Amino acid sequence: MCGIAGIYAYHYAANPVEVTELCAMRDHMAARGPDGRGEWVSADGRVGFGHRRLAIIDLSEEAAQPMVSPDGSAVIAFNGEIYNYQALRAALEAKGRAFRTRSDTEVLLQLYALKGAAMVFDLRGMFAFALWDAAKHGLLLARDPYGVKPLYYADDGWTLRFASQVKALVAGGRVGRDPDPAGWAGFFLFGSVPEPYTVHRAVRAVEAGTTVWIDRCGPGRPTRYFSVSRPFAAAEIKPARIAVAPARGRIRAALFDSVRHHLVADVPVGIFLSSGVDSGALLGLMRDAGQRDVEAITLRYDEFRGHSDDEAPLAALTARHFGARHTIRTVTREEFGADLPKIFAAMDQPTIDGINTWFVAKAARERGLKAALSGLGGDELAGGYPSFSDIPRWVRLARPGSFVPFLSALVRHAIAALNGMMPLVHPKAAGFLQYAGSYSGAYLLRRGVFMPWELAGLMDRDFMREGLRRLDPLKHIAAVLEPKPKSAWSKVAALEAGLYLRNQLLRDTDWAGMAHSLEVRVPFVDAPLVQNVAADFAALPPGAGKEVVANSPSVAVPAEIQDRAKSGFKTGFATPIAQWLQQDEQVRAWQEVPRLRSANCPWARRWAYQIARA
Amino acid sequence: MTGILALITDGFGGSGGIAQYNRDLITALAACRGTGRIVVLPRLGEAGAAPPAGVRQLKPRRNAAVYSLAAVKAALTLGPFDLVFCGHLHLAPLARLLSILLGVPLWLQLHGWEAWRVPRRIERRAAEGADLITAVSRYTRSRFLASCGVDPARVRVLPPTVAPCFGRGPKAAALAERYGLSGKRVLLTVGRLDADERRKGQDRIIGALPNIIAAFPDIVYLIVGGGDDKTRLEALAHDLAVADHVVFAGTVSSDELPQLYRLADVFVMPSTQEGFGIVFLEAAASGLRVIGGNADGSLDALADGAIGTAVDPADSSALVRAVTAGLAGDAAEPAGVARFGFANFARHVEQLLGRHLLSAAPAAAI
Repeated sequence: MCGIAGIYAYHYAANPVEVTELCAMRDHMAARGPDGRGEWVSADGRVGFGHRRLAIIDLSEEAAQPMVSPDGSAVIAFNGEIYNYQALRAALEAKGRAFRTRSDTEVLLQLYALKGAAMVFDLRGMFAFALWDAAKHGLLLARDPYGVKPLYYADDGWTLRFASQVKALVAGGRVGRDPDPAGWAGFFLFGSVPEPYTVHRAVRAVEAGTTVWIDRCGPGRPTRYFSVSRPFAAAEIKPARIAVAPARGRIRAALFDSVRHHLVADVPVGIFLSSGVDSGALLGLMRDAGQRDVEAITLRYDEFRGHSDDEAPLAALTARHFGARHTIRTVTREEFGADLPKIFAAMDQPTIDGINTWFVAKAARERGLKAALSGLGGDELAGGYPSFSDIPRWVRLARPGSFVPFLSALVRHAIAALNGMMPLVHPKAAGFLQYAGSYSGAYLLRRGVFMPWELAGLMDRDFMREGLRRLDPLKHIAAVLEPKPKSAWSKVAALEAGLYLRNQLLRDTDWAGMAHSLEVRVPFVDAPLVQNVAADFAALPPGAGKEVVANSPSVAVPAEIQDRAKSGFKTGFATPIAQWLQQDEQVRAWQEVPRLRSANCPWARRWAYQIARA
Repeated sequence: MTGILALITDGFGGSGGIAQYNRDLITALAACRGTGRIVVLPRLGEAGAAPPAGVRQLKPRRNAAVYSLAAVKAALTLGPFDLVFCGHLHLAPLARLLSILLGVPLWLQLHGWEAWRVPRRIERRAAEGADLITAVSRYTRSRFLASCGVDPARVRVLPPTVAPCFGRGPKAAALAERYGLSGKRVLLTVGRLDADERRKGQDRIIGALPNIIAAFPDIVYLIVGGGDDKTRLEALAHDLAVADHVVFAGTVSSDELPQLYRLADVFVMPSTQEGFGIVFLEAAASGLRVIGGNADGSLDALADGAIGTAVDPADSSALVRAVTAGLAGDAAEPAGVARFGFANFARHVEQLLGRHLLSAAPAAAI
């Protein structure tokens, strides 16, 4: 788990790699890897890698990076964990390959020698890596299926630069900062910058589930090797009717298998514990996998004391239930105010989330942890969000109206105009008829922070138009559903995994965790797991997914936790940002905008504006 | 064997940077393995100039409608073609139409300012349909991507080449005599004097001359190039009382230009609108210290400072510092010009052709 950076002067006209620039990019990510740093530059000076190390597997110096293969034919800089590396290593050794280290990094090098870029199909884990192929004079960039680990690149036409973070790329001094209209429009629409765009025109994300090959001609088009909707579409091809009882059994086995894999480490692995089902089930499964003396961390906010948003009492119950060592860390508004400059500095790209992860990761590091499990992704997997019922219902309701030409746009304009005089309905309601008739439109309504027609006033008008033209929000959303699953449940599951989970939750978990040199592992976000249980979850009765997850450990999650989940109460590290936005002097910029001052304005809008101004 | 139809502004028999670029590119294409025949249709230039073997240049057609008809006719009767090359954004809509008509890929070439502004919708559509777009510099590529928003992976950089006739050599005494340069230190700019655009920056150098003369009283500023801005520049030199130090050489023949470079000590052009700036490379190849702007395609020709010094064109004192350092011999000798030789260019043309146009599978296919 680390930070990687590199420069490839692929064009004949480009100057050779400057080590000072390489090190500036690398050391901007010092927090990602406090345990070591390394750099490698090829003999001809055309390519160089930098690496900051957070040692988790094989803590020895032999496993340091960048790692060069024994024959010098390949070099790798790798960020992440390969959870099945031991099995891959055994298979490679059976084919006669010898290893120098016990690291998963070396497994990647050897696997590439055998399979080339097709190696990505064999990997189970979270990863972003750069691999130099000396014989082909080419560079392979690869990123895990769901995008747990980040990777960005900037290509100026002569030289390609890559890094784990956008800010590290810019810190090298040779990457332009011009704002990307599509990235900024996407931020205001979704609350996070949608891949492959970033806030800088010169920087692009290596998209989750893709590889990019760069040779003397520069980067080619990204090659997609994994689509979040494929497991769902594939599950629908199976003709057999799925019985519920065996489905439950398969889900339990698959969840246990994923947790077991996510515990591979040479350091202790803790857990973020909320009052919800997902983290509780993870804790139970950790115990089933033989982990004793697990360190569990829960956040408590003063503002929530005595209120149902307070996670501490029920989390404490779960911790006792499973015999975990439990730390309840209290966060105050004063600490939020004091950390805010550091949060903005660490926030790699604008996002309206991540504050909770910042504090829970901080607390975990205070307890001496280097790695922790998180229940992130459980809602996407088990259908825990209201969107799983809302979106299909909206589509059914609005579809007939959306066939009447111009009606939907007319209604939207009319309501928006009335709302301008006095706020009658939620601003999003104006677009219901126009957007809710399709899955991508309904998704935008459900998840959107601002709607496309509301961006004027937040962004320069031409910049906004260009951004919307390039992003094409509905097309961008629809692209996730490729191949398109048939069932409503599967469509929503794929959309949540391909957009909210990828661009918001996982990215925020990365920057906010790594800022405290903490590796966060997400057993619910695992391609083999989803492939195994996509059909089973879809076959469960509506709303039953959470109950199956709660009962997956040999000792079930406490009944109180399950009851609360059933009552529809959303849990999982809520923050009192709504209050803080009223109270903290540092976050008052939103008051410049009249419509954000209106009493019924959702806090996420104020916070998004505040972030954009930071 | 690959057949290529090339629509260009001018090439063989043409004059200027774009014509030279097109000649180099078509020559390189003709030398690629597998290239069969190239049919070139220019808008401008002299008919009858001799292209290399395997290249047939049709006669120029200035009129847009006539040109379009000739292009369609060539596409239908002189084929088969496997690729359409388009040498200018203005010709892109026509070239795109032909590439659709023939069912073959399109290669679009971008030079400078034409690709910086927001393109007409029809041009943008054509560019979006191109399989490969090459720009002369990183700057032109970046400006084009900012205004057009096509897939960046398809927009590559293919810099111009510096001709082998530019190199070090003895100073031609007769030429020095003609311009009154004997025994003087010489500051040189080669570029058009355009009253509308004023983008080459000769006026900025004349403005800096008093400070330069203070350090080097024997300096002469030699301005090569014609245009309608000469009167204004002369008046400026007169007003600043440096007219004795400024020589206007006007337009110079391409035969004499290499020798003219050798008469100078420092080449300076604080330009603001350079697509690439091949003159920087010609000067550096001739052994001159080179100074250019830092905010456009000049950075490519200066190789980010490896070949010459990049200064902010608006910063007069930085310009004076760079020029006096160059005249004093403090600046490093230009190095690395060789990278812009024809051999590298031709090899890259072949690589681009293989990667983007003639192979269906991307390199990272897995």
